Amino acid sequence: MWQRVLNWLADVGVLFVKEWRSELRTRYALNTLLLFALTTLVAVGVALGPLGTSESARTSVLPVVFWLILLFAASAGLPRAFVHEEESGTATALRLAATPSSLFVSKVIYSFTLLLGLEIVVTPLYLAMMELSIEDGGALIAALLLGGLGLAAGSTLIAAIIAQAQGRGMLFSVLAFPILMPLLLLAIALTRAAVSGDGGTTWATEILLYDATVMVAGLMLFPVVWNP
Amino acid sequence: MTINSLRFEHLVRGYGGLPVLRGVSAAVASGETLLVTGDNGTGKSTLLRCLAGLLAPESGSIELTEDGTALGTGQRRSRVGYLSPELSFYEELTVAEIMRLFARLRRVEPHRADELVERVGLPSGRAGGALSSGMRQRLRWAWAMLHRPSVLLLDEPFQNLDPASEGLTRDMLNDHLEQGGMAVIASPAPLGLSNVATRLELAR
Repeated sequence: MWQRVLNWLADVGVLFVKEWRSELRTRYALNTLLLFALTTLVAVGVALGPLGTSESARTSVLPVVFWLILLFAASAGLPRAFVHEEESGTATALRLAATPSSLFVSKVIYSFTLLLGLEIVVTPLYLAMMELSIEDGGALIAALLLGGLGLAAGSTLIAAIIAQAQGRGMLFSVLAFPILMPLLLLAIALTRAAVSGDGGTTWATEILLYDATVMVAGLMLFPVVWNP
Repeated sequence: MTINSLRFEHLVRGYGGLPVLRGVSAAVASGETLLVTGDNGTGKSTLLRCLAGLLAPESGSIELTEDGTALGTGQRRSRVGYLSPELSFYEELTVAEIMRLFARLRRVEPHRADELVERVGLPSGRAGGALSSGMRQRLRWAWAMLHRPSVLLLDEPFQNLDPASEGLTRDMLNDHLEQGGMAVIASPAPLGLSNVATRLELAR
């Protein structure tokens, strides 16, 4: 039993390292996410800026814009997780050699670390450009970590579903709406709580439940969509 | 020696309502080769994909047995060595990195991966994307043999190989059969194989 768990963890680790090794050599997702986020960040910063929004609107509006930037950057880069494997013909080798669950989890962890890197770059820039002060730093960190994990898990699940379909771009948008919308609303609420200092334990708990639900659903669904 | 067999019966598979395999049956046992021939579009590759567990047949049965125990589809995937023109590897990783990645996933000692790379004569430090078509085919051979599979499923196995490489891979195939392995080979041509136990001709 323990040997199987250790083997599974080793598979996740090997596949995770493969993802980053490939990414660092091609830099496709890194460049896509970063350029998309920075472009929208600058556009939003110039359009709204610290003076473009009233003090009363800042708490309600700016967290929404922040999560939209992260969502669209993720939408631009993360769907490639499985599409690239299918398009390049490497999916066949993975189907025969790796267990579906270890592959899914490694892709989620890879997407999560990619998003964390993006958040580390974008968040301080956004806060500085908008002169947005944070009253509850813990709530912001929770929003970034839990929201990032949910975004990674949800995007990976959608990417797996659409990988073998025609019209992938449209399908991602169609599936992202019902799967990612609840997360987006919760992450915005928790970020608002971080800005206002109202306490966001309830929102954080709900995001945690969302993350767990998507991970379990992904682990159950992925073998079905991955294998014939 | 482990006694293995692969038997498939009445396999039916089509694509979008177009029938390709229509009730195909055959069997192969330890040390034997099944040669599947037929024109383009007769379902040779589809048959191999079904046998590998990469495609589900619409009806019919596939049974891979090891020492009298029938294996499930998941176990079958781990016991086959699959080689096909559609099989590709990571262009940004080197040959050694690709083989070691799959050696770890297949629970095979890393030196087995290095040995196979050396045996097929590939430059271990070259990126997958920088390999010629013949080198890619040799990498597919090394990959298919990596985990000492009980059955080799070879789709046009000597495609793009020069005479020396073809001789080398034929030796690898013979070694596999001598050690009790099985092989199912799909090709439009007979390939000049001398030790074929069963021939299966597919037609449209």
